[in-house]
Amino acid sequence: MFGHLPLKLSICGKMLMLAAIAALPASAAAAQSADPRLLALSCAGCHGPEGRSPGAIPSLHGQSETAIAEALRAFRADQRPSTVMGRIAKGYSDQEIDAVAHGMAVPSK
Amino acid sequence: MNSLPRTGRLTRRRAMALAAVAALAAPALARAQAKAQIVVIGGGFGGATAAKYLRVLDPGLAVTLVEPDRTYTTGPLSNLVLAGLHPAADLAQSYATLGMRHGVEVVHDTAVAIDAAARKVRLAGGRTLDYDRLVVSPGIDMRWDAIGGYSEAAAQIMPHAWTGAAQLDLLRRQLQAMPDGGVFLISAPPTPYRCPPGPYERASLAAYAFKQAKPRAKIVIMDAKDQFSDQGLFEDGWKALYGGMIERIGLSDDGRVTEVRPDEMTVVSEFGEAHKADVINIIPPQRAGKIAQAAGLTDDSGWCPVDPRTFESAHIPNVHVIGDAALAGAMPKGAFAANTQAKVAALAIADALAGRPPATPTYLSSCYSLLAPDYGISVIDVFRATSEGISPVAGAGGQSPRQADAAFRAEEARYASGWYASITEEIWRS
Repeated sequence: MFGHLPLKLSICGKMLMLAAIAALPASAAAAQSADPRLLALSCAGCHGPEGRSPGAIPSLHGQSETAIAEALRAFRADQRPSTVMGRIAKGYSDQEIDAVAHGMAVPSK
Repeated sequence: MNSLPRTGRLTRRRAMALAAVAALAAPALARAQAKAQIVVIGGGFGGATAAKYLRVLDPGLAVTLVEPDRTYTTGPLSNLVLAGLHPAADLAQSYATLGMRHGVEVVHDTAVAIDAAARKVRLAGGRTLDYDRLVVSPGIDMRWDAIGGYSEAAAQIMPHAWTGAAQLDLLRRQLQAMPDGGVFLISAPPTPYRCPPGPYERASLAAYAFKQAKPRAKIVIMDAKDQFSDQGLFEDGWKALYGGMIERIGLSDDGRVTEVRPDEMTVVSEFGEAHKADVINIIPPQRAGKIAQAAGLTDDSGWCPVDPRTFESAHIPNVHVIGDAALAGAMPKGAFAANTQAKVAALAIADALAGRPPATPTYLSSCYSLLAPDYGISVIDVFRATSEGISPVAGAGGQSPRQADAAFRAEEARYASGWYASITEEIWRS
């Protein structure tokens, strides 16, 4: 979500932002971030091992880290229609979405 | 000059002897230091996932999986088989990949006792397995004493068809032989039990099959509870798809079955009303699998209390209980939940043995149900370990929308089969 903030923040803006973070309730955003190793394994139950889906659910294998992270953010914001991904993506913070994408994506060489 | 004292000088003969001893001792030493022994009891969605990922996360672990059956029959997809819409053979999962690709030792036997002090598991066949850490994933056991007259013998006439291939096949054949105009009665259990939407999916797919072949048939669900999983979605779908074919009697309307009379093909409700039917499916109240009870892992509820971060038993250290047997807070009892709990437990074990601090877990559960082959619904949740146990993340998850078009339901039905293909591939074939 910070990606959409204006690049230049006034001191006052920064303080407001910090205050907003501090005031967040015990939600996904404020809770301790889940372990990246577990996040990387989260997708396999539906999208197949290493994101290689053998059936009707789209494969993630071969997609870039950026593409996966952007898709998850779009699902979370209800900007991309879905059956279940909107409901799932809302359970993860930005940091966790990045960890999921990093764990799922094929490392670029 | 040689600086070594005379006694320290190595003769060629002595050096060779030392090398020989070292060669003998090194593997034994390595085994003792690096090969921690992990035993996993139960090869279902929980146990098989745990066995695989223990080896993936730490190839230095020696993992033994104890499972009585040569092939595992999945609960997911079984209602399609029951309705004659899918071949039964597709439910069978093999342990070959776990053994050959992942180096898991698969022992086809039944664990009968756990010696927590000595860290040993005793098998029915007489073998004893030592463990450093134990994963117990025994699934469910029926409470055979909960319904008067119901027993393993009675289940040959009124099958539960909730575990195992034989029970499923028995009920499938009974439904196939039922005459048009017959009554199929399902007795649904009180919460908690394996697969919360399962009895209602079963009624739906039976109705789908009857609608084609036996349009005058009727389905009665007698329920030991008032509310059930995805209730609104099921009731909307039943009305739209099957008219009045499915009738449900909830707890408050005297829906709880307290006695069965297999000789008369009759069930009796709490307040004494007898219901006769042509095919009767008794899904009894449940508790944690037998070995969990025998080992003292269960509490008064019949299920196993665990640490919400690691699934380590609250009763016995170094033992992790996962899947349907565990008390996992708000998580439903089902295949997906067991799969994600297994990953958390496997990581917790690998980290603990390596001296790493415990990880922060996250859990996911999705339960797809079919109301017809092209009409699917789902309930999904993301969970965290909190001070109140495992809780769903607020604002995420939930059920399929009440208002959705046929295309949405059809897509969820396709994803239901896609989910099954993916999770069984992940656990048993990759």
